[in-house]
Amino acid sequence: MPRAPAALKPKDAFVDWSILWQYRGAFWSGFTVTVWLSAACIVGSTIVGLLAGCLGSLPSFFLRRLISAYTELLRNIPLVVKLFFFYFVLGIPGIPAALLALTLHQSAYVADVVTAGIRSIARGQVDAGLSLGHGYWQIFRYLIIPQMLRIVIPPMTSQYVAIIKHSSVVGLVAVQDLTFQTQEINVATFRGFEAATATTVLYGLLALAMIAAMAALEKRFAWR
Amino acid sequence: MSGASFAIVQSLRTERGKEWLWRLGVLLVVIAGAYAARDLEWGKVAASWQFLLKGLGRSWLLALASIFVGAVAAFPLALARVYGPTGVRHAATALIETVRSIPELMIIFWVYFTLPLVIGAQVDSWEAALGSLSVIAAAYLAEVIRAGLYSVPRGQIEAAETTGMSRLHIFLHVVLPQALRNMVPALIAQLVALFKTTSLVYAIGVMEFLRSVTVINNTLFAPYPLYLILALGYFVSCFAITRLVRWFDPKYQLVD
Repeated sequence: MPRAPAALKPKDAFVDWSILWQYRGAFWSGFTVTVWLSAACIVGSTIVGLLAGCLGSLPSFFLRRLISAYTELLRNIPLVVKLFFFYFVLGIPGIPAALLALTLHQSAYVADVVTAGIRSIARGQVDAGLSLGHGYWQIFRYLIIPQMLRIVIPPMTSQYVAIIKHSSVVGLVAVQDLTFQTQEINVATFRGFEAATATTVLYGLLALAMIAAMAALEKRFAWR
Repeated sequence: MSGASFAIVQSLRTERGKEWLWRLGVLLVVIAGAYAARDLEWGKVAASWQFLLKGLGRSWLLALASIFVGAVAAFPLALARVYGPTGVRHAATALIETVRSIPELMIIFWVYFTLPLVIGAQVDSWEAALGSLSVIAAAYLAEVIRAGLYSVPRGQIEAAETTGMSRLHIFLHVVLPQALRNMVPALIAQLVALFKTTSLVYAIGVMEFLRSVTVINNTLFAPYPLYLILALGYFVSCFAITRLVRWFDPKYQLVD
């Protein structure tokens, strides 16, 4: 449990950046945990979200309602609550619980992005496909999915950045990610300011890298 | 087949009929869930209902207070980003984007751990929670307000200019009233996001809903009913706000 520095002496107020180098190992291990946890959740939530979003866009009333119930249920309960439920109530160990909670949470948002992407494709295209004699599956496979995948790249970018940001929560169930390590350094040295600054910069860099990668992806698959 | 039952079968083919069937199904699932949960240790938990309710109330208070403070702070930020001279505009943009790109938990820790170092006085966890949530709300609401200001068609501003209105008059009488109306759904949507974010101030020891549930669980050890109450409390609160958005604008796509 993080604690505030109990007694602040005047000499503590000075900034000492050397602790960053001293604790570089902790920063590095926390950074790697954050990176692979986010990467795994990005892959997982994309798969689950794409599947749910596509199912929710099929011309079936009850399927649509079922998927929207799924997203409403997951979106309206905070991530920490899900995380604590998996960890404390179901007794799943820290890292699987974090993966599960983060993937489920973000998959609901991805599903909504996918549904909106499919809805933005003009209805006339489906009619055109039908009149050309294509079946529903062919229309889905060759008409809707390729267009949807391009449309959803920008909103997906913000979802992926959100995953990186939300992964900071897993420290609360003792997964030793970047935020957790920052807390440890703060407890050990009372140098919370320096550690938090470094961590903030690292998160910022991760987010920027994500945005750059998605921009490259968008450019690569743009229609010419 | 009699006429009445045939009418029911017919009505199930329509969107309205399916809607009713879906609602019936949801109701049945809820009843089945309640029936399945009847043997949980409710007796153990019942005595602490006031404590839990207080926790939920604190979460609501935190969300409402910080969205209010955040909205007050967000207005000058958004105006600086939209209308400010270049330097001010870049500064406001940098501030908003920085806060938006840092994890919410880090912002809470920032305010709780490093604000005392900067101002040289202790900050208690409630003040830190209110402060950090307000900072988060301000950054996100600034974007909402900016989108609202941009949502007023350019042609209206040009029309106002040709009738000879001053820039201040255009802003106060043409842009602002329409922008405010357009930004209401997004503003309420931010309240949902903020309400969920209040669960993070658990980490600095504020006795909000999540912490009050975990505290009671530590003494009573009745995780299933308590976490059911926890999930229900958050779900009902957020869902209610969501419905409020739908009531304002049925076509609004919730993004939080």
